[in-house]
Amino acid sequence: MERPVTRRTVLGSLGATVLAGCTDSGTGGRDPVDGGSAGRSRGSAVTDGAGPPTTAERLPLPMDPSSVRSEAVSGGPPKDGIPSIDDPKFVSADDAPWLDQGDPVFGLATDGGAKAYPQSILVRHEVCNDVVDGQPVSVTYCPLTGTAMGFERGETTFGVSGRLVNNNLIMYDRGTETWWPQVLATAIPGPWNDSPAMRSLREFRLVWTTWKRWSNRHPGTEVLSRDTGFAKNYNQDPYGSYNPRQGYYSPGSPPMFTSFSDDDRLTPKTVVLGTRTPDGAAAFEKDALRERGLVDGELGEMAVLAVHEPDLDTGYVYRNPEGRRFDYRDGQVIDDSGTAHPPEELPLDRTLAFDAMWFAWSGFYPETTLYV
Amino acid sequence: MSDPTSPSTRSRADDSETTTDDSGAVAGTVAALRAAARRRDSTAVFIAGLAGYLVLYLATVGDLSVIGGGGGPVTVRLAEDLSRAFASTGFFRFGAVAVVSAGPVTYLLSPLNLLLALFLAGLVGANVALTYLGLVQPRACGLESSTGILAGVPALLSGAACCGPTVLLVIGVQASATLVTGFQLLVPVAVVMLVGSLLLVGRQVEPALL
Repeated sequence: MERPVTRRTVLGSLGATVLAGCTDSGTGGRDPVDGGSAGRSRGSAVTDGAGPPTTAERLPLPMDPSSVRSEAVSGGPPKDGIPSIDDPKFVSADDAPWLDQGDPVFGLATDGGAKAYPQSILVRHEVCNDVVDGQPVSVTYCPLTGTAMGFERGETTFGVSGRLVNNNLIMYDRGTETWWPQVLATAIPGPWNDSPAMRSLREFRLVWTTWKRWSNRHPGTEVLSRDTGFAKNYNQDPYGSYNPRQGYYSPGSPPMFTSFSDDDRLTPKTVVLGTRTPDGAAAFEKDALRERGLVDGELGEMAVLAVHEPDLDTGYVYRNPEGRRFDYRDGQVIDDSGTAHPPEELPLDRTLAFDAMWFAWSGFYPETTLYV
Repeated sequence: MSDPTSPSTRSRADDSETTTDDSGAVAGTVAALRAAARRRDSTAVFIAGLAGYLVLYLATVGDLSVIGGGGGPVTVRLAEDLSRAFASTGFFRFGAVAVVSAGPVTYLLSPLNLLLALFLAGLVGANVALTYLGLVQPRACGLESSTGILAGVPALLSGAACCGPTVLLVIGVQASATLVTGFQLLVPVAVVMLVGSLLLVGRQVEPALL
């Protein structure tokens, strides 16, 4: 494959004020809020009529697109029965006293500032159509697969189709009515558009962390307001709790619906840091990454390096084609010349990685490598 | 009593005919309900059954919840778009238009959910009231008297989370497309069972004996 040519340029252009954790760019991904410089230089965005921008290279699917469609099941609610937030409001950290320190938030930091999207709100909406630094984006969350992912949306918005595949949210875009399974981030045929162009969405990284960690790192962060315009109960998660972790989110509990995966190397809900490109997929058990700091692995035939970032308790994955050696000391990564780098800014080409439940990851990417 | 449609005006010899005649069963049940409405004890049982089921139903479908440690004054937050009241959010589930919080209790006011809940709860209350009358009147009742309460159970299982029926999370059963499709039948099944059991238990009550 050809590597995205501007990734290094993107990271360089963002400057030190940007949290690199929010600017991962896997294949097709790019920083959503970089002022447009990286997007222009990249020149690979594809628009599909009124649909969202897509990438030149397509991400892998576990089976042919029509088979993915045939595996879709109704989760119960109809189309838009789970309403997306289309006019999000934000408040300051001080105006969000209802957030507990241990509550999960999905963080996005850009040149323009930092935003936190509380899991307790997104569990009721799954999609938040936002504008960040002037760029239309969608922040999405699927509770059943434990995946929070950001997508560029162009002039359209994403909604919740009400269908699931491998327990994962199938989004649809309101411009072309195309189905987009969230983790696959790739168009599949659906009842409202049965022959879409099979392209992949342009993605960006969200950091799954806790409110305490995020607000410590970004004291001036904005928080998605509970004033969403909808009458919802944001005090209660219908599936369980992450603070403490219980119910559906317990590591050993089964998926809600039939899973594609029969891989039992990890319990179903074990959190892995997964990364995938057109060449393949790799997963790093989060606990193991936290313990070891650095983990070498392979994605397809490419050597990759996963790094733990202790402040936000997250991780990053880099291509490491030359097999460069690094050491991990006190949360810093030391290269072979003795220079220290923050985990989110290694002098390597970063892939887009995100947290996911193991059953979901291994179901979508059965050939994935796994590092525990 | 003087109600000409009441089974009590008929002879015992007509009983077999009455039990096989739908209109007779309906008339008998109506008469029994009227008799129940005239008694304070059975009215109280009706209200208790209705209220109990109403709370249980609203809780299982997720409209009513109690959050430990919650506090503060009564607050009401309205949805911006009140037409959400007509938006389907699942099988026989509709959108809420207001969040009412009172201390640890949070209630999502969904008018259509509330109407459905009141309808189901009314049927359950009627079943319970007639069952009660059947038990207190001198004539013994059959086992079917208890079906009135059980008939309300399917609707209690119809509560759904954003994706998938909540009850499956509780009992740890994995959902399938067929199972989820089946869940959309729970409310209609409950209505049919509640009406059916009401007719069964209604014909057993002899208003004249009350």
